[in-house]
Amino acid sequence: MSVILRAEGLSKRFGGLKAVDSVDLELNDGEILGVIGPNGAGKTTLFSMIAGSIPPTSGRVLLEGKVISGGSPRRAVRAGVVRTHQIVRPFQNLTVLENVMVGAIYGKARPLGARERALEVLDFCALRDRAPQLPGGLTLAGRKRLELARALATEPRVLLLDEVIAGVNPAEALQMADLIRSVREKRGLSIILIEHVMPAVMRLSDRVIVLDAGKKIAEGKPQQVVKDPRVVAAYLGESASAAAASQPGSSAPTPATGAVPRSLATPPSNPTPASLPKKGPGGNH
Amino acid sequence: MKLLPHWVSRPALVGLLAALAVGAVLPKVLGLSVYSQNQVTETFLFVAAALAWNWMGGYLGQVSFGHSAMFGLGGFISARVLLALHLPFWMAWVVGGLVAAAYALVWGHPTLRLRGPYFSIATIGVGEATRLVMTYWEDLTGGSSGLSLPITQGLKSELYWWALGLMALVIAASYTLRKSTFGLGLLAIKSDVDAAADVGISPTLMQDIVLLLSGFTVGVCGAFYASYQNFIEPGDMFGFDRSISFVLMAVIGGVGTIIGPALGALVFVMLRQYLIGSYPQLYLGIYGLLLIVVILFEPLGMMGLFFRLARRFGLMRPEVEATLEAKAAVGGAAADPGARGGGAP
Repeated sequence: MSVILRAEGLSKRFGGLKAVDSVDLELNDGEILGVIGPNGAGKTTLFSMIAGSIPPTSGRVLLEGKVISGGSPRRAVRAGVVRTHQIVRPFQNLTVLENVMVGAIYGKARPLGARERALEVLDFCALRDRAPQLPGGLTLAGRKRLELARALATEPRVLLLDEVIAGVNPAEALQMADLIRSVREKRGLSIILIEHVMPAVMRLSDRVIVLDAGKKIAEGKPQQVVKDPRVVAAYLGESASAAAASQPGSSAPTPATGAVPRSLATPPSNPTPASLPKKGPGGNH
Repeated sequence: MKLLPHWVSRPALVGLLAALAVGAVLPKVLGLSVYSQNQVTETFLFVAAALAWNWMGGYLGQVSFGHSAMFGLGGFISARVLLALHLPFWMAWVVGGLVAAAYALVWGHPTLRLRGPYFSIATIGVGEATRLVMTYWEDLTGGSSGLSLPITQGLKSELYWWALGLMALVIAASYTLRKSTFGLGLLAIKSDVDAAADVGISPTLMQDIVLLLSGFTVGVCGAFYASYQNFIEPGDMFGFDRSISFVLMAVIGGVGTIIGPALGALVFVMLRQYLIGSYPQLYLGIYGLLLIVVILFEPLGMMGLFFRLARRFGLMRPEVEATLEAKAAVGGAAADPGARGGGAP
């Protein structure tokens, strides 16, 4: 497998705070890479640097050997790297179709046929029948799909997804996971995924990296990473066992942010946590 | 219709041509007096200026209280050019417009990265600073005693046609700026400048382009006004109420809509004549009151009223109305506050 995107020693310092501390990262062509870590670990800052929204303090990002960091988001988008936002940010004053058209027009500066390309993407994201509506009328899951559709319309090679699953109901979470998988399979994109919903990360990711306090503390197959003592400590603190004991029956199958410590705390004999929604074969793990 | 870009609708084109035709035959048919015809000329002029202000305030959501700076600069530069070089007046207007546009870029490029009220406050500073400098810069503006332009016989009736042409051009530009793919980018910037940047838009570049166009057009309007008045002085050209008048016209007519500011300018110029004549002490206060009433009860002004009536009488589907209102709204939160937070519906 060839490496499509590479980050070398990426650091971001905000005053005295090292939000991201020399993180190296490689994304293979066609891979889904999960990025996990506790709140404030620097995941979104890492994304912002890769997407060009903020310049790194040091280090660089290369897409197929070409530097894309340190410029503007436009440079990254033209090169083929686009992000979505954790808190959905549709253009409220544009219809669903127009939202996606903005991506289609400005992503590669190609206004011709933008409407048709946008409609195709809406079809792909199951939003076609919502095309003439304003995004305010969509459910949260719908708006997350719109966020994804707008990014896809820029015709990227690498997609950075910032918590596209968190916050939606279990059925919608499964639908979104399927959509992400088909983005990889049908559109041939490579994906980096920040996600708090552990079952989704476990199922979707080929590989996972774990950030804590700006540093990469673990990397590997999802099942190995969650058993890594450093990872458990990062999520639950050194006295992790106490916290784990207080939540014995994690029965509620809600893939919410709160599920993170619980899933990590499940015994090693059961690598797929109890809160994983049941799903037929075809999963990645 | 292959001759036209896809975003030009036939009704809009027919409407513009019809309005032009009405404007062209108006003086003949109504047998307007010289005074009334001049009133119409002035109305056309301010329609153009209000629409150009709306490109910034309505299309980009960057409400400027400093557009008098470009209006005045365009006026004085073109007056100086006319006095010194004896060019045809339209050439002097273009020179005035270009200088105004360049000036707009000088202050606008750094301040346009501010959004919302912060940008507006900066423009107040720009407008007032410009007024003060110009009042004391006697070599350019003649100071408080102002500048007189040579009076040409028959110029005023000729200016009617120039004003009509200028207005038509600016209406066409307004339509293009909203309906084209460029306009879609502007709407995206107005809604969320960072999200727009993240899908490949360059907000800085696009805002600068709009500012240049707006500054140029308002500068040309100021130059036109100088030719029309024959006499200009800094207090009037650069005054704060000059800036406010652009805001008022747009708000009364419907800020952010394509044609609303034109209606607002129409009402504004007519009302001012009446109010200055009848209540010279009160007229500014009455404007203030009008502004409050409009913002409280119909934020989209006359166009908002029109949308509402059109829906009421079944001429416009509610979804269409909602879409039009969302596009016009200034400030992303106005459109749908609940949808932003990311909470489940």
